[in-house]
Amino acid sequence: MTDSAAPGRWHRLETGALLAPALLLVILIFMLPLGRFLSLAFTAPGGTFATFQVLSESTVYRRILLNSFVIALVVTLITAALAWPLAYLMARTRGAWFTLMMYGVMFPLWISILVRTFSWMLLLERQGPVNRLIQALGVSQTPLPLLFNNTGVLIGMVHVLLPYMVIPLYGSMSRIDPRLMQASDGLGAGLWQSFRRIWLPLTMPGLAGGATFVFLLSLGFYITPTLLGGRSSTMVATLIVSFITEQFNWPMAAAASIVLLAAVAVLMLVAARFLRVDKGMFAR
Amino acid sequence: MNRLPLGWRIATNVAAMAVLAFLIAPILAIIPASFNKASFIRLPPAAWSTLWYGRFINDPEWLRALWNSLQLASLATLIAVPVGTLAALGLARSRAAGRLFCSALFIAPMVVPIIVVSVAIYRSALDVSMNGTLLALSLSHAVLALPFVVISVGISLHAVNPAWSLAAAGLGAGPWRIFRTITLPHVMPGMVGGAVFSFMTSFDEAVLTIFLADYSTTTLPVKLWETVRLEFTPVLAVAAVVMTGLSVALFVLVQIVIRQTGDKA
Repeated sequence: MTDSAAPGRWHRLETGALLAPALLLVILIFMLPLGRFLSLAFTAPGGTFATFQVLSESTVYRRILLNSFVIALVVTLITAALAWPLAYLMARTRGAWFTLMMYGVMFPLWISILVRTFSWMLLLERQGPVNRLIQALGVSQTPLPLLFNNTGVLIGMVHVLLPYMVIPLYGSMSRIDPRLMQASDGLGAGLWQSFRRIWLPLTMPGLAGGATFVFLLSLGFYITPTLLGGRSSTMVATLIVSFITEQFNWPMAAAASIVLLAAVAVLMLVAARFLRVDKGMFAR
Repeated sequence: MNRLPLGWRIATNVAAMAVLAFLIAPILAIIPASFNKASFIRLPPAAWSTLWYGRFINDPEWLRALWNSLQLASLATLIAVPVGTLAALGLARSRAAGRLFCSALFIAPMVVPIIVVSVAIYRSALDVSMNGTLLALSLSHAVLALPFVVISVGISLHAVNPAWSLAAAGLGAGPWRIFRTITLPHVMPGMVGGAVFSFMTSFDEAVLTIFLADYSTTTLPVKLWETVRLEFTPVLAVAAVVMTGLSVALFVLVQIVIRQTGDKA
């Protein structure tokens, strides 16, 4: 007890020594490279903010940035719609069925994103099983272009990101007191009214949390859009890479990265605000 | 909500099961794809064969990629676990402001989009001529794995009652002995969990490695990434099955560890 009894310097020195290796690792291998790379955005020959000017004036770059936002938004909406029934059933099930569903949701997270994307390349091919099914069902006579466009990107990204929506949604649904529904039932509320006034507001924190996760992860996605998308469905991560590997233009890559990081930061601040407001709603 | 009408209940169940199938089934497609006999992937295969498994095993490039992946994941784990465990111990005893600052720093590599992290590290590695080296790869993979170790060990530290250390100290135990007999056994499950996460993070990592690895340090995901854009043969599915097989094996291992620690508690 002598150590902690004399708290002051010795205790702080020990704590510092415990934290030092990790701090050193993160600062040297992450913070420093990140700072150095991002600062390149301001070193273009055209002036300090020339890179940002090019980004905002070029219709091609503007379209890519817009496309990233639209894809991220659509992915978020689709995952929310798909996650809803699954999370609902998980919150109402106990025992072996629940365990099975939980494993089903967690398992894909353990598989490499590259493998999950690759399996969609197999399925969505021109002559692949999905297209053959579509033709067998008579939906379309000719194979549909499902790969190398936004359709492929959406399917692949929804599949990869769905667990991040199901888990928080399940979390907030499982905390809803079933007696609330009984009470609203007893007071004569209809199905729609109970859903709108109890179920929906109480699942909002989970939905907001899941939507934030999915949207933020979507924005920076690289592997899936690159493999499943085509030239017309470029997203911002692919743009950053093409600045480096095709144009050797590091300042532009850094500027596009700053735009991406700024979007992420703003969204996280908004989400933190929104989630706190929701906690306030809980208290009332 | 037992009073949901029967029709709605059936609809919800069917929809939930369909979503669950959508999550799992596509991943399983790689298994039949890997047993194709033809030199292109057809689902389901017209003729079944283990031909492409043989091709994988006899191809020195795929084998070296697999070996590189295992080596890199082990190195990254060996760095991330001790460093992360010490950091979690340090966080537990630091004051609020310092704790907030340090944990934000440790979590940051998880929050910043991986593409930005990758490009930034790649640039610095180029500047110091360390791109393609195993050292640069394992250190940067360790940074990506670090948050998992800090969180995992941090959670198991919550279970350690500070009164136990005080009691042991009161009974005359030194700090090392307190650590060895009280702290270590309790954070062990957290360390094992953190190690598995670290290994998987590194083994599956593709984006950073695409930039940082060179010809001699190419990993399995990078080789898969490069090959998939050149040719579309069943050997790709074999590589995907090998990667997935390892993930599943580690997933099972984690479940066993969780069950065992659950029994002890």
